[in-house]
Amino acid sequence: MTPQEKLRRFEEQISPHLKSAYNLAKWLTRSHEDAEDVVQDAFLRAFSAFESFRGDDTQPQNAKAWLLTIVRNTSMTWLKRNRNAAATLGFEETLNDPREHSPDPEEMLLISCDREEVRQALAQLPWEFREAIVLREMEGLSYREISATVGVPLGTVMSRLSRGRDWLRRILSTPRSLKPQEGAGLR
Amino acid sequence: MNCDDSRTYLPAYLDDELDVAESLGVQKHLAGCQDCRQTEEQQLALSSALRDPDLRAHPSADFAERIEVVVRQAAKQEARSGRSSRFEFLRFESFGWLPAVAVLLVVTTIGALFVMNSFRSSHQQLIASAVLAGHIRSLQPNHLIDVPSSDRHTVKPWFQGRLDFSPPVPDLSELGWTLVGGRLDYLDGRPVAVIVYQRRMHNINVFLWPNHGSTDDAIRQEEAQGYQILHWDGAEMTYWVVSDLNKAELLEFARALRGH
Repeated sequence: MTPQEKLRRFEEQISPHLKSAYNLAKWLTRSHEDAEDVVQDAFLRAFSAFESFRGDDTQPQNAKAWLLTIVRNTSMTWLKRNRNAAATLGFEETLNDPREHSPDPEEMLLISCDREEVRQALAQLPWEFREAIVLREMEGLSYREISATVGVPLGTVMSRLSRGRDWLRRILSTPRSLKPQEGAGLR
Repeated sequence: MNCDDSRTYLPAYLDDELDVAESLGVQKHLAGCQDCRQTEEQQLALSSALRDPDLRAHPSADFAERIEVVVRQAAKQEARSGRSSRFEFLRFESFGWLPAVAVLLVVTTIGALFVMNSFRSSHQQLIASAVLAGHIRSLQPNHLIDVPSSDRHTVKPWFQGRLDFSPPVPDLSELGWTLVGGRLDYLDGRPVAVIVYQRRMHNINVFLWPNHGSTDDAIRQEEAQGYQILHWDGAEMTYWVVSDLNKAELLEFARALRGH
């Protein structure tokens, strides 16, 4: 691959996923500036590692999953460097199983329509669960792609998605004053 | 399939991750179970709330542009050093980003040192190598400028207290040379000022420090690794100008700078 060819292919296959890259980085770092830094780093890493990417025209999704893997790893490096910002890495197990207080479905439907509530709830979710949900719901990655991106077995992906969603449903259908602590009950 | 099974399978069912037999099993159970249908509705409501496009974080147009520039710069640098394929072993999983940058810098610096053989005197050669290495280093993200400003009245005072001389920072914007900022560097055994100008996407680094030797303001030129390097010893300052801009335009810039 000549340098010009490499740039052309990169801009054709990888660059269109900038929006997804930024979205993931923003949800993982929860900061606009850090998300921009992470994405810039990730794009440079992606470019220098682009030879190792074997794009397949029949599966355009692959390029996105490949880029998001790099964004995810760059974000993790960033999170480790900024422990304080990753306060959700340590929390206590204080709540019971969510199924014990099943939400009233009507109330649930009502609250989940409030975008700000959803945004806050998702932002509070511990990052393993948050990243699984962002990759699945917002970026539309398959379980297999999430498993490769995050580097955990399929079963773990499923359990993180399921527990993360349960937690979101619970927090979105509990009156504000009774809201559980950040991430409580997940570990 | 009972309710417990259905609850277990439901997320994967809604995510379209079950095989046909499992899907049918869930469907059949849902058809006959009010409770599980309610759970399904809740899950669907949550999914649709999470898929709301307005919940996504959107990069600014400026940022998209910045990424394009950064990638193109990286491409240019790779093309110049001709080393793109050799970096494959620097896989991102095993290396942090910073060590990779360090290796890149060492490699390009060594490259620069090799290429500078064309310079005549060994002292000049050393400075030219350092100037080129400094320029290449400055192209790394966030290394270009310490004081980003297009206002010479901001850039010039910034050097006060950081240097034992006051570098001239002429405004050449009317001639089409945009001031983008300044930074400190260390060259020829002393801290020096670097003023950064831009034309189109090309950065121009001007390294300068007081000239204690003889004055010779004829512009000498060298070319190395695709970069143009210009040098003259003004009455007060020694100038080194380096850029990937073409020779004719960079000469035009050097004359404008010298004339100020």
